Amino acid sequence: MMAVTVKTIVETIDDGGAGIKLFTLVDPDRWELPPFRPGAHIDLHLPGGMVRTYSLCNDPADTTRYVVAVKREDAGRGGSALLHDAVKVGDVVGVSLPRGGLDLAEDVTRFLFVAGGIGVTPFLSAAAWLKRVGRPKFTLHLISRGPPPLADLLVPLLRSGHLVIHDTSVSARPDIAALIGHPLSDVGLGCCGPESMIEDFEQATRDWPANRVHIERFVPPPLPVDPDAKPYTLALARSKLEIPVAAGQTMLSALLALGIDIPASCCGGICGSCKVDWLEGAPIHRDRVLSPAERARSLMVCVADSAEDRLVLDL
Amino acid sequence: MLDTLNPQTSHDTFVPAWSGVVRHLHITPRAFLPMRAMPELKLIEGIGIDGDRYMIGREEGFYSPKPEEGRQVTLFEIETLTALKRDHNIDLAPAEHRRNVTVEGVPLTHLVGKKFWLGETLLQATRLSIPCKHIEEITGKAIFDPLINRSGLNCKILQGGTVRVGDAVRNAA
Repeated sequence: MMAVTVKTIVETIDDGGAGIKLFTLVDPDRWELPPFRPGAHIDLHLPGGMVRTYSLCNDPADTTRYVVAVKREDAGRGGSALLHDAVKVGDVVGVSLPRGGLDLAEDVTRFLFVAGGIGVTPFLSAAAWLKRVGRPKFTLHLISRGPPPLADLLVPLLRSGHLVIHDTSVSARPDIAALIGHPLSDVGLGCCGPESMIEDFEQATRDWPANRVHIERFVPPPLPVDPDAKPYTLALARSKLEIPVAAGQTMLSALLALGIDIPASCCGGICGSCKVDWLEGAPIHRDRVLSPAERARSLMVCVADSAEDRLVLDL
Repeated sequence: MLDTLNPQTSHDTFVPAWSGVVRHLHITPRAFLPMRAMPELKLIEGIGIDGDRYMIGREEGFYSPKPEEGRQVTLFEIETLTALKRDHNIDLAPAEHRRNVTVEGVPLTHLVGKKFWLGETLLQATRLSIPCKHIEEITGKAIFDPLINRSGLNCKILQGGTVRVGDAVRNAA
């Protein structure tokens, strides 16, 4: 039914050293890709329905490529192994629109980034952007056990004096609080790395203003949802199916995820394409087209919600 | 007073006249990708715009699984961009509304069902466009509601040709 991802093809796969592969994704016609902020990430939709999130490593000014660095995690959930073993140059990979990234407030005069291992990736796109623009100043502290990952990409930053490498195989892990120092109103902070490092970073930044502190986790937090939204079950009377709908998820996406072909168009509750009759429950109608009489019988699955734990649709 | 508002009198004595101009041209080959500004577009009769996502045979647009001849070419009023700024303080660039042709001086809402010339091409308007929620995801701007009822015009191509920025837009008798 609807195209829900940006279609890319794998242009190159490069060795990033230490079990890391760099995947360069481009549009099949080398058209510009949707823009991204320094430090942003994308979801890769992999064969078998697996979705994995990776930071973009390239300069946001590089508008025709998405570059992601994937470290093979044999003990992981299978996404990195699939990318390393099964994805080849020329393969089609659907990706999400880019999300997140640094808040480049005008009044920040200096950034200080702390990264652990492969957690350096979001700061590569940020560093490329900041170096090119020339402001704000920045320093990247990379904590790595042994040689750092993605050495080829780090050399220019090392030469320009923007990168400090802390090799914990030859010296003690640095004190993150000491690296960061005291709160300064014109300094922005960023951190990405293993959970233990992020905990230290959060502890060290507890007195900093929240809008100056940016944390990227390997497993990104779920998208913000309406705090009042609740999960519920969608029962399809004629198909005899039960579908869980997560808090904040639309009925439409839950139905589509199950392969149920629902016509939909505007996805905003005005075009009327996705009207479905309901049989039992308490729908919350958010469309702008159904009359009260029609709402007694129908709802628009693109925007409707359920006030109760279970809603039965005539599908 | 009643006489001046008499619809019969108005129809008999007043023929609305307008003339417009093409201000911007944009295409993109696939859903979600940025629209690219073009100096000219090649419109193919009954097919669409050469290279655009909704051209028949390419079909890589968000709505391509639901083909509709009115998606062959879509128009948007530049006056709406001015209104978004004036009424909602939203800066929306011509590349962001995701229609192909941005026109000035053309009353798009009056043209549903009618034929008109876009440069050397002849179009027939099929319906008003409906805004799509995913445009907010693409642009990061809350423009779905402000675009209701002024989201452009869907047209089919009755006579193809090349459309250039600066071309005239005029009624077809």
